[in-house]
Amino acid sequence: MTNNDAILTHNLRKFYPRVRGYRDLIFHPWRKEFITALQEINIRVQRGTCFFLVGPNGAGKTTLVKILTTLVRPDGGKAFILGYDLFQHEKRIRKLVSLAIAEERSFYWRLTAKQNLEFFAALYGYSRREARRRISEVLELVGLASVAEMRFNTFSAGMKQLLGLARAMLSDAEIIFVDEPTKSLDPQSANKIRQFLRHELVKRQGKTVFWASHNLDEVETYADEVAIINQGKIMVQGPIEKLLAEGRRSLFHLYVQYVDRDEEEFSRSRIGE
Amino acid sequence: MSNLRIFWLFFKRDLWEALSYKLNFLFSVGSIIFSSTTFYFLSRLISGENQALAKYGGNYFSFVIIGVAFSGLLNIFQEGLPGIIRNAQLMGTMEALLITPTNIGTILMGSSLYPLLYSIVQSLFQIGVAIVIFGMKLGQVNWLGGFNLLALTMIIYLSIGILSASFILVYKLGNPFSWAFGSLSALFGGVFFPVEILPGWLKWLSNLLPITYSLRGLRKALLLSLPLSSLWPELKALIIFALFLLPVSIVVFRAALRKAKKDGTLIHY
Repeated sequence: MTNNDAILTHNLRKFYPRVRGYRDLIFHPWRKEFITALQEINIRVQRGTCFFLVGPNGAGKTTLVKILTTLVRPDGGKAFILGYDLFQHEKRIRKLVSLAIAEERSFYWRLTAKQNLEFFAALYGYSRREARRRISEVLELVGLASVAEMRFNTFSAGMKQLLGLARAMLSDAEIIFVDEPTKSLDPQSANKIRQFLRHELVKRQGKTVFWASHNLDEVETYADEVAIINQGKIMVQGPIEKLLAEGRRSLFHLYVQYVDRDEEEFSRSRIGE
Repeated sequence: MSNLRIFWLFFKRDLWEALSYKLNFLFSVGSIIFSSTTFYFLSRLISGENQALAKYGGNYFSFVIIGVAFSGLLNIFQEGLPGIIRNAQLMGTMEALLITPTNIGTILMGSSLYPLLYSIVQSLFQIGVAIVIFGMKLGQVNWLGGFNLLALTMIIYLSIGILSASFILVYKLGNPFSWAFGSLSALFGGVFFPVEILPGWLKWLSNLLPITYSLRGLRKALLLSLPLSSLWPELKALIIFALFLLPVSIVVFRAALRKAKKDGTLIHY
């Protein structure tokens, strides 16, 4: 691990217990079955870059994001966030990373945008004065300052996503994780968010953005580095220019090549006992 | 920054939310007045000499109001914490809370503040209504004894709440602790009638419930004006419950949190 590494993982693994039916529970109560969510994940993300994790639905993107943000515990391997071991320094890491949750229900709907942020600012350890300053800053940055006193339940989908970003920026974390931040947004709102992540956070503020997505156009335009994940495995990783050259015509060709190739082999090993 | 500010913000968050439901407060006040009225007329029916009731001053209305007011308060601990976890799972706020550097213990404590204070106000209001409207009489209140009993009982019920919250973290629904303590306490804990009227083996069961000691002690302190020394048997029993339940609940909660993080089900519902 070098000083320039924001994230480094080595053979990171995750298995989820398989949900079992009543019949199975009665006849085989002690049997444990697992589904492989991630296998041998090795990635390296450099500081101050926009890193894209691309893959189809169910590929393991969200699991990896949740592991790296300490919400899910891995079953094996190693991971370091800005040099801190994920297994040993969970609390420290939570001060260094933030996650923009696309889930709009993650806010208190009957509170205003400002009241929501005031509450979360306290959990990030801000004093009242610091919180006010920081909330004004982030609301200004995402363009929601004029609607700060409006209740969250009156916001449009785009505004809710932006408020999610504002909350992720409250802590001034060095690494910001975003999981499909433009999902279900109109093109104009989606573009606003993409520009913000790339130009404001990465280019201007020098943050590291770890962006999980399955929108390849988004990746081609905004990525510094890309990893393609399929069925829990990193298929390929590298700078976008290199991957585009390898894909010859577009990232789409490379993506299809890697995603299709491994599917049959993987599905055979996916469920183990 | 101290946890005090975090607790204050939790309280404010819940207050803001509660105030946004304007009718709810009025209905709460109404339901307290209705339940007090019901118990008042019921107490007129249950009149005359009753040996079991005589131990608590002989007035059923005072007896039941103390039981209902304080069991409601204790329910907040027992139901409140698992309710908070369940609510955060359903609302989707769990992930947003757990990604912050604030530890889950502080989050749980902070989340219980508003329900607790609201419940204290409700209990006091219930007793106030009983005194002002229905002429309930308290004795020379032993404040120190009452406070000690209440504090110990809160620790015990907080522990039960933590055990229930652990269950909800892992299994989401179907909480056996809440069921066991909630139903058994209402029936055998001396909330609505003195446990002395129960047959022998059920009386034995009531002795296993902390609420039996809490309510007996509180009635002694509030209705019979007994000194601290007379409350010692109840205090002793509650101390034993607290010393056992609190560490057990913390260990169980940590294990549940580890399991939920390992299974990746922390935010599932």
